[in-house]
Amino acid sequence: MTDAPMLEVNDLAVQFDFGGVAIQALHDVSFSVGKGRILGIVGESGSGKSLTAKSIMGMLPEAGRVSNGSIRLDGRDLVEVPETELRQMRGRDLAMVFQDPQAALNPVKTIGWQIVEALVVHGMPKAKARARALELLRQVGIPDPETRIDEFPHQFSGGMRQRAVIAIAIANSSPLIIADEPTTALDVTIQAQVLRLLAKLRADLGVTVILITHDMGVVAELCDDVVVMYGGRVVERGTVEAIFDAPQHPYTRALLASMPRIEGARGRELAAIPGSTPDLSRLPSGCAYHPRCALAEDMCARKVPPLEPIPERPENTSACLVAQRDGRLPPEGEGASAASARPDRPETEAAPILQVEDLRVDFGSKRRFFSRTAPFYAVDGVSLTVRPGETVGLVGESGCGKTTVSRAIVGVNPIASGRVSVDGRDVTSFDGPATALVRDQVQYVFQDPYASLNPRLTIRQILNEALERRRLSAEAREEECARLMKLVGLDRHYLDRYPKAFSGGQRQRIGIARALAVQPKVLICDEPVSALDVSIQAQVINILADLRDRLGLAVLFIAHDLAVVRHLSDRVAVMYLGRIVEEGPAEEIYAAPRHPYTAVLMASTPKPVPQPGAMASKTILEGDPPDPRNPPSGCRFRTRCPIGPLVHPDRTICEREDPALSGDRSHKAACHFPQDTTQTTEMRERMPS
Amino acid sequence: MTIQDTDIPRRRAFLSEGLRRYLAAFRTPRGLIGGGLLAIMCLAALLAPVVFPGAVDAQSRDSFLGPSLTHPFGTDELGRDIFIRCIYALRISISLVIVAVPIAMVIGTLMGLAGAISPALGDAFQRLFDIILGFPSLILGICIVVAIGPGWIALAVTIAIFSLPQFGRLARGALLTEEGREYVLAARVLGVGKRKIMTRHILPNAMDPILVQASLAMIGGIFAEAALSIVGLGIQPPTPSLGTLLNVGIRYVYVQPMYTAGPIILLLLLALAFNLISDALNAAVMKTRND
Repeated sequence: MTDAPMLEVNDLAVQFDFGGVAIQALHDVSFSVGKGRILGIVGESGSGKSLTAKSIMGMLPEAGRVSNGSIRLDGRDLVEVPETELRQMRGRDLAMVFQDPQAALNPVKTIGWQIVEALVVHGMPKAKARARALELLRQVGIPDPETRIDEFPHQFSGGMRQRAVIAIAIANSSPLIIADEPTTALDVTIQAQVLRLLAKLRADLGVTVILITHDMGVVAELCDDVVVMYGGRVVERGTVEAIFDAPQHPYTRALLASMPRIEGARGRELAAIPGSTPDLSRLPSGCAYHPRCALAEDMCARKVPPLEPIPERPENTSACLVAQRDGRLPPEGEGASAASARPDRPETEAAPILQVEDLRVDFGSKRRFFSRTAPFYAVDGVSLTVRPGETVGLVGESGCGKTTVSRAIVGVNPIASGRVSVDGRDVTSFDGPATALVRDQVQYVFQDPYASLNPRLTIRQILNEALERRRLSAEAREEECARLMKLVGLDRHYLDRYPKAFSGGQRQRIGIARALAVQPKVLICDEPVSALDVSIQAQVINILADLRDRLGLAVLFIAHDLAVVRHLSDRVAVMYLGRIVEEGPAEEIYAAPRHPYTAVLMASTPKPVPQPGAMASKTILEGDPPDPRNPPSGCRFRTRCPIGPLVHPDRTICEREDPALSGDRSHKAACHFPQDTTQTTEMRERMPS
Repeated sequence: MTIQDTDIPRRRAFLSEGLRRYLAAFRTPRGLIGGGLLAIMCLAALLAPVVFPGAVDAQSRDSFLGPSLTHPFGTDELGRDIFIRCIYALRISISLVIVAVPIAMVIGTLMGLAGAISPALGDAFQRLFDIILGFPSLILGICIVVAIGPGWIALAVTIAIFSLPQFGRLARGALLTEEGREYVLAARVLGVGKRKIMTRHILPNAMDPILVQASLAMIGGIFAEAALSIVGLGIQPPTPSLGTLLNVGIRYVYVQPMYTAGPIILLLLLALAFNLISDALNAAVMKTRND
């Protein structure tokens, strides 16, 4: 960074005042962004990263105020600028992209109107504004902008909406864009599109971007510089290479280690960070991370570490007393290196415990007075097998029907046709005995730990409800509750508390304990970790893996995150638009996918390994998933396929014929040209730009 | 894998968690004022026969006396003390709503939740509620009075029927949202029976809006009594009710303004008390719901 920085934040402190109780939420936050660079601010929930963004924008909630420090934009201190002037600066000198594009756009105004509004308030005449709006829409890659400009937000898909929000942010050629978790609400293929757009805008327009995210993978792919936040402080900052090569703060290192990887060795236990993220109102003394840190010493609890360059690694600036004293961050102690290799899980040939054949679930048919609406199969002919003790991962983007499958298996969603059998018995009818069998053998872990526990019941009541099936005596139930709590690593003294007393990770453990109370043979986990912070995610994944191995559970693990699925699964099935498009042993699928969708999904998943220019060379899926009510003819993936009729007009078979799931032995793909996918390099060349 | 010991606030419930939340409403200023006002009026109504035995119907020659210390609201056309008659009238209003509204609450809630057992029945009840709401309350009241004859019972039935739809609709709304919640799905997957899911998961979480509505329905009931009695279809004289007092009072509004003003003041105080209580309840349940 030779020239003057675009934005310089110095010793920023933000204080909240709640009826006389002052809570300091940000402490001494300092960083700077050079012109035309992309800075990533990473942290878990409650780390203060969004608050930092809001302070820069001057949009702190009413109770909050900047109590110290300066925010210099091009040399001007934004803290000093009066609100009226700041209002003019927003949009013109600094702009913001919000997390949820659905909420950021006004649903009753057209997209064009909203872009024009952003232009007109900054002084552009209305007549010119529309032409500029069209140009902006083209710039952010919205196809057919002439028609789309007059459409409403609900007519746009999630990814398109986020593009429109970005169009508004760059409308007045603002040199600085602050993007607060811009891709968190989006699917991985759409996320890749938006990230590429941000990279392209930086290249074309030279804008500076501050990207706030919790995902180290996104940072590695897109950012030049990184700021890691924890407990309202910056704990480490540096260039992306320096941080990812040799993190000099134990939190950064642990965060990287706790991420499941899509590449490299697998099957080991994830290095989870113990404990949970601290509440900003009750930070531990000294270094806020010390209670969770394997390297913590006495001094860490007493002294707040200053943010200083590390002697032996001058590119990293870290707030770790130990690293500053020793000259570099020492390797982890024995405690954390317990990440020993887990023995390979043997393949099983046993009779399947759970079998789904040609399952269809109809969401469309509604009886009207005289007619029936057309059926709409959210799940259209899915077959799955789970053998005892085996973990099957079911991957797909939102709306592909993976949750619907899992709920149909437990009889919550009605089955239109097909067969579900548990332990060799057909339970499709879900009559009395069939339902009882399913309830005894198959249990479910839900996605949202905040919604899956009734807030009105204590943990004991929740577990007792699950134990009712086993008709235990009162003492036996008491024993069992304690055993279950121990199983998921919670203290039995917590039994009489209400769910609100627990953090997300702890609630998810309770959800697992509840499912295990029935002593099932199959556990269906529906995105059990997607609502959790990265460090907590690793804890829950480890518990799941451990319980699975100890209790010999068969697991159907549903997730959108390929890395998490890879870490846990023996076999993987990939779903797209209500169908399984590829299925096979996990290692084989990840090493050599046969279906182009799987390949693209893997390419789109951000990897926490910085590679300059990775963004540009990546295979990215264009467009949006088609409407599942009206799937394309032939192969359902053909409208987005990088090896299909889009690039090979001669491949008309994809439009005519629905490919069957085929292939040798266990690895099957539903593609007419499965060999092409294996040659991934070739695929990249043929990608439309 | 070790679990840290975060400081989770230790709580042990004396009362059930739900009840405590509702009682917390009465510790807020609004709840305190509303509850206090209501308590004073209830106490006055209960103690009136003890403090002023027989005074309610005691006639005298001093008709249409102005307000004074002995007769705070003056006297009526038969020389009876208007203030004492108003306090007596509270007995009717309060007893009516305290009996009729809870009955409506229970029946309406059950009717609203019926959809969980039989969707057809649930739909049928909703259409019934539409029909009830289609009638103006006065017309409905007249029909019921004609059917069972004027008096306390007819009023109670009218108030109960008229309050049904709100409870039924709230309960159905709660049912529809709760049914889709993950903890209800979890209970279903655990094989918990429909009835237990209803009492354990759906009903407690549906109670919040229903209790708030109960407090509001009391106001509706009090005004319904007044309206029906004004037109002579409610409580029959000489028993005083806020409506019958108004019925006569309006005729003498120029001679004895307090004859109309007195009952109206009490009506408004009752409405205020119930309104404050429902506000406080609403704030309390919203607060606990958000954390």
